[in-house]
Amino acid sequence: MIIRPKDAAKLFGISIMCFCAVLISTMFLNSNIDMARIKDQITDPDALLLHDMVVSSGKMTSAVTGGALALTTVVILLFYVKHYIDTHKSELGILKALGYSNWKIARSFWVFGLSVFTGAALGFGGAFALMPAFYRQMRSDELLPDTPLRFNPILVMYLVVLPALAFSALAVLYSHRKLKRPALELIRGTSNVRVKKAKLNGKQKPDAPFLRELKQSTVRSRFSLVFFIWFASFCYAASVVMSFSMPEVSSDMMAVLMAGIGIVLAVTTLFIAVTTVIKGNAKTIAMLRVFGYSDRECARAILSGYRPITYVGFALGSIYQHGLMLMALSMFIGNDALELPDYSFHWQACIISFISFVVMYEIFMRVYAAKIKRIPLKEVMMEE
Amino acid sequence: MIEIKNTSKTYGTGENATAALKDVSLTVSDGVFIVLLGASGSGKSTLLHIASGLERPDSGSVNVDGTDIAALPDKELTAFRKEKVGFIFQQYFLLPNLNVDKNVKMGADLAGNGGYREIIEAVGLGDKLHKFPSQLSGGEQQRVSIARALAKNPKVLFLDEPTGALDEETGRQVLDYIGNLQKARGFSMVMVTHNANIAEIADTVVKMNSGKIVEMAGNEQRKTAYEIGW
Repeated sequence: MIIRPKDAAKLFGISIMCFCAVLISTMFLNSNIDMARIKDQITDPDALLLHDMVVSSGKMTSAVTGGALALTTVVILLFYVKHYIDTHKSELGILKALGYSNWKIARSFWVFGLSVFTGAALGFGGAFALMPAFYRQMRSDELLPDTPLRFNPILVMYLVVLPALAFSALAVLYSHRKLKRPALELIRGTSNVRVKKAKLNGKQKPDAPFLRELKQSTVRSRFSLVFFIWFASFCYAASVVMSFSMPEVSSDMMAVLMAGIGIVLAVTTLFIAVTTVIKGNAKTIAMLRVFGYSDRECARAILSGYRPITYVGFALGSIYQHGLMLMALSMFIGNDALELPDYSFHWQACIISFISFVVMYEIFMRVYAAKIKRIPLKEVMMEE
Repeated sequence: MIEIKNTSKTYGTGENATAALKDVSLTVSDGVFIVLLGASGSGKSTLLHIASGLERPDSGSVNVDGTDIAALPDKELTAFRKEKVGFIFQQYFLLPNLNVDKNVKMGADLAGNGGYREIIEAVGLGDKLHKFPSQLSGGEQQRVSIARALAKNPKVLFLDEPTGALDEETGRQVLDYIGNLQKARGFSMVMVTHNANIAEIADTVVKMNSGKIVEMAGNEQRKTAYEIGW
């Protein structure tokens, strides 16, 4: 085995995402299945209306949460596979040079799906721990008949087994695609830098200070890191702003649950992104420090270039969550001919989320950069 | 002048402890070229890293112009490297997303050296200013790293197996080029190598084995890489 389960353990962020997605989806889908069984017993029109509303709300929440988190997980998984190949390219190149086929190496990447399985299984179990309270809360106005909590095995298949298999397959296929490079290229690590076309006509920009040029070049040449930090900011805004907007369209219990999950997800995604950005630039930072650039200069040149990108990500994430909420409300609740809840863009939530985002981002950057600084220069530079 | 006194360095702890340097003392006078010679694991690279402030010894001192750099806090150690030291590594460590011009500028900006392009010309890469490291051969990349180190006008240049990744002819050119520059500019130079054949190009040859200096000899007349038939 080339990739060890220990490597998959580093994907704890994916496990957390899956935990949250499956927790929410299981609660709503299980209750929807259980409620479908009691629909025939409901004769009161008000109770029937409430039943339909609860089912619609469940469909909406599962779709929005499950869908958004599944998409986020796909992006993070693909990023991790790419990052793993980039950071282990010389070992992978040596394996290829020794005669291992792309498929043989790629097959080892199935273990990345273990992180999905772990998170999903824990989320499924966690949902069953919370569901008695959730069912009681649904019956709190005593309009709906007693809904017995049942274990629906089909959900294990759809929410735990199939996602784990699908993500394992995705990791294998994507890694196979990324491994389609000559062995020597992987060993030498020569192909992962985007090279700007040389300017030969003498029309060059006037000389800018080295650190400014490095800042621009760092951001331009690391598209995957730029995308990841942008995406993390986007997710942060979407999750947190949406969480705070939930009280307008769902029960208090659900709003608290969603806010908790939103914040955990947002912080996890941002943490992964920030640490990946710093790790991805550790060697450049080490080289600058060897030459005598101060920590402040290194941070300004290498790390501050990502800051504007995060702000753009946050703004787009806020807009996206608003659009998604409007769309989901009209699609699910609107179709059931129920009155749409009063929902509008939550400016206050957006501003609070932005402040928390900036604070969190700066703390992660500083703490992690300080951690990197404590690693001896020699160690950073010699690690290949 | 660099005075290394009674320095020791051990990696790992307990059963895994390996003594890389054992009570080593060495003086690098201004303007001299010293070669540290020894087999792999002899401690020569550790000595180079300690002398240049890249690593701290477990015990002993490293005095540079009267300051013990082993006792300096990180910030001042960084300032020391900025003002006094240049590095050339076997693996070049060029920044892959910057072209030749910008890689050399990295060193030049630290010394406020606006004329750094002359050095690029001098190492024979004047026509490759806008090429990126991945577009250069090994020898060319090493010449970029030489230009980068020289562009910051170092007082001491540290070289860790600078020809290790180069073919014979390119290695010879690189060694002669650096040797001539060192003579012309008068900076000190400490080079690590395991190749005994190139010892004669230096003023002093320090042989190391098992973390200790076992022999130190001066060459009356420095030779070029061509003269020693390397």
